[in-house]
Amino acid sequence: MIEFHLDRGSGVATYLQLVHQVRHALRLGALRPGDRLPTAKEVVAQLTINPNTVLKAYRELEREGLVVGRPGLGTFVERSLGETSMSDRVRLRAELVQWVRNGRQAGLDQEDMRALVATVLGDMFREEIA
Amino acid sequence: MLWLTWRQHRTQILVTGGLLLALGLLLLVSGLRATAYISEHAPSGCPGPAAACSGVNSAIYHDYYHPVFTVFGLLPLVGSALVGAFWGAPLLAAEFERGTNALAWTQSVSPGRWLMAKLGLLGGMVVVAALALSAMIGAWLPVFRGAVGDKTLEPGTFTITGVVPAAWWLFAFVLGAAAGTLFRRTLAAMAVTVALIALTIPAVFFSRDSYAEPVRTVTTGWTALYDRGGSLVRDAWVTPSGQEVITPPDGVCPPPPGVDARSERAQLLKDGCLIEEGYRKAVYHHPPERFWRFQWTETGILLTGALALGGLAVTRTLRRRS
Amino acid sequence: MTPALEATGLGMRYRRTWALRDCSVAVPSGRVAALVGPNGAGKTTLLHLAVGMLAPATGEVRVFGRPVRESMERIAFLAQSKPLYAGFRVEEMLRFGRELNPRWDGAAARRRLADLGIPLDRRVGRLSGGQRTQVALTVALAKRPDLLVLDEPLADLDPLARDDVMRGLMEAVAETGLTVLLSSHVVSELEGVCDWLVVVNGGRIQVSGDIDELVAGHRLLTGPAETADALAARMPVVSRGGAGRQATMLVRDATPPLDPRWTARPVNLEETVLAYLRAPDLAALPRPSLASAR
Repeated sequence: MIEFHLDRGSGVATYLQLVHQVRHALRLGALRPGDRLPTAKEVVAQLTINPNTVLKAYRELEREGLVVGRPGLGTFVERSLGETSMSDRVRLRAELVQWVRNGRQAGLDQEDMRALVATVLGDMFREEIA
Repeated sequence: MLWLTWRQHRTQILVTGGLLLALGLLLLVSGLRATAYISEHAPSGCPGPAAACSGVNSAIYHDYYHPVFTVFGLLPLVGSALVGAFWGAPLLAAEFERGTNALAWTQSVSPGRWLMAKLGLLGGMVVVAALALSAMIGAWLPVFRGAVGDKTLEPGTFTITGVVPAAWWLFAFVLGAAAGTLFRRTLAAMAVTVALIALTIPAVFFSRDSYAEPVRTVTTGWTALYDRGGSLVRDAWVTPSGQEVITPPDGVCPPPPGVDARSERAQLLKDGCLIEEGYRKAVYHHPPERFWRFQWTETGILLTGALALGGLAVTRTLRRRS
Repeated sequence: MTPALEATGLGMRYRRTWALRDCSVAVPSGRVAALVGPNGAGKTTLLHLAVGMLAPATGEVRVFGRPVRESMERIAFLAQSKPLYAGFRVEEMLRFGRELNPRWDGAAARRRLADLGIPLDRRVGRLSGGQRTQVALTVALAKRPDLLVLDEPLADLDPLARDDVMRGLMEAVAETGLTVLLSSHVVSELEGVCDWLVVVNGGRIQVSGDIDELVAGHRLLTGPAETADALAARMPVVSRGGAGRQATMLVRDATPPLDPRWTARPVNLEETVLAYLRAPDLAALPRPSLASAR
């Protein structure tokens, strides 16, 4: 079972925080196929958040095919993340190393690059959900 | 609504019930003691209008009737003021004052029904209480009729017998409720209610004589007329030629020498002399037979007032401006 | 779908001053809506109109498609002062609710109070502020309303009681799916709790819509001041700031700026609301056709 936590005031929508935490747990193997996610009421009792937000997060996860809702029983993990991407990861890491080298040559320091990555990540994911 | 009305107003209901019980006991004891006194001490044919009875009449009046009547004589004013201040005024003012109107009037029962139930139930109880008091007094009074005479239309008695007490109390209750919608503070509503009742009572008392055209009786035996229990409006002298004058001319029947013109004896001598001279007294009065007519007239006036005030309370409650 | 609450052309006047003017707003069914605005903006007036405590001067309010005063069985209201009868015992407050409401759920009310550890024989006047609010909320919830309206439910509560009350409210939403409309002037305490926002400012509705969409639809741009005007001309600007050569703008636009000298960062609910409150002439309202859409 996953226990959610919230970073209030982070600017990230609450339902997205829940989605990210489930994805993260799937990647780390903390959640596996067949595991039940907490019910909206359980999450609400723990975090004092709007149950609609929890349902919205679960709908999003369902849309991505990560979980499936079984009426009357709860929401269950359908598949996990990250198992097939070992080779992808190696490749992506190599690309990122190259990008950082390019950045240093262009005169960016560590903080510049971090800001740039954060901006791009923010923009990309916001576009995806908007 | 029945339970809620009881729960919110049980203090008033219980205190009023207790007071009625105490007054009832007082009347019962007084009536029994007076009856016992009469059967032990009064000569035969007494108490009554006969001259021989005057001693026992006076004893009964002073020892049994008067002390109790002073308590009840205050009831028209005090009773109405209490009902208005403690039953009527808090009904809506307390809800506004504590903000509980926002609770009471947002339930499934509509504010209209809430108000109607409260006015109806409490108003009904007030009427029943007043009628109970009036019935108890009505049972107590006849014990003293022989000694004290008939006082049917006398202001003090009239107000605490028949249906008029119920009309007064109901009027006071609705007045208090209406004051509560205007002032929205219990204490302010209570004060305004008491003040308005204190103004209404003399206004009604003084207009009572004009409920009907007084009867004009021309007589020499006016004392008997006064003692019948009616209500005297005014009197005047009628000259032998049939003219009505307020005071007979000065020259007629001067006080005999040696008698102080201001004394009661001079007055009696003068009255006797005037009758000898052919003068008569014209008495404008309401005979005691008009008791129920007057009761219903006053009840009608007060109920009209109560209805108008009730309408004010209802519209001000339902129009709702917070 | 019929909105839980729909106001059209709503106006309310106290003597000569308009407390609310020409307000049209809808709260879709099932939402937890926040009514936000500065003190004296007309929040309480709007809520009182929504529960029939006031009759509007103009316009009308409908609850699930019917006039408010015909819908009182489906509405519960918790006024700011959390009114209860101080002389009543807690169980008598429950009896009060039972007597006045045909849909009353006494068992749920008792369960809720037992969970909260509030004794039924305690006099209301002796309850703590938090307990009092919980009892008032219990009475409101046991009515089984479809729309629950709360006026500043968290004002004058300590942080623990705030969390308890809000959690109780959210659990009730999870159980019954009721629609909630609550007012607050503290925006930060609404984040994560509310999913619909209505901003009332100066007696008018300024913002109305889904909170996630609203927040995602705005961002804070930072860039060189000399290009700010050109950028501002292309998108709705809610607020502008900055110093010297650097300009910042909170814009209602989700696309990243094309000019690479400008950076964009997401905003949170409080920043967005404050920016609107500082610009009372600017509005973010749904198109009329979308007013009632979920």
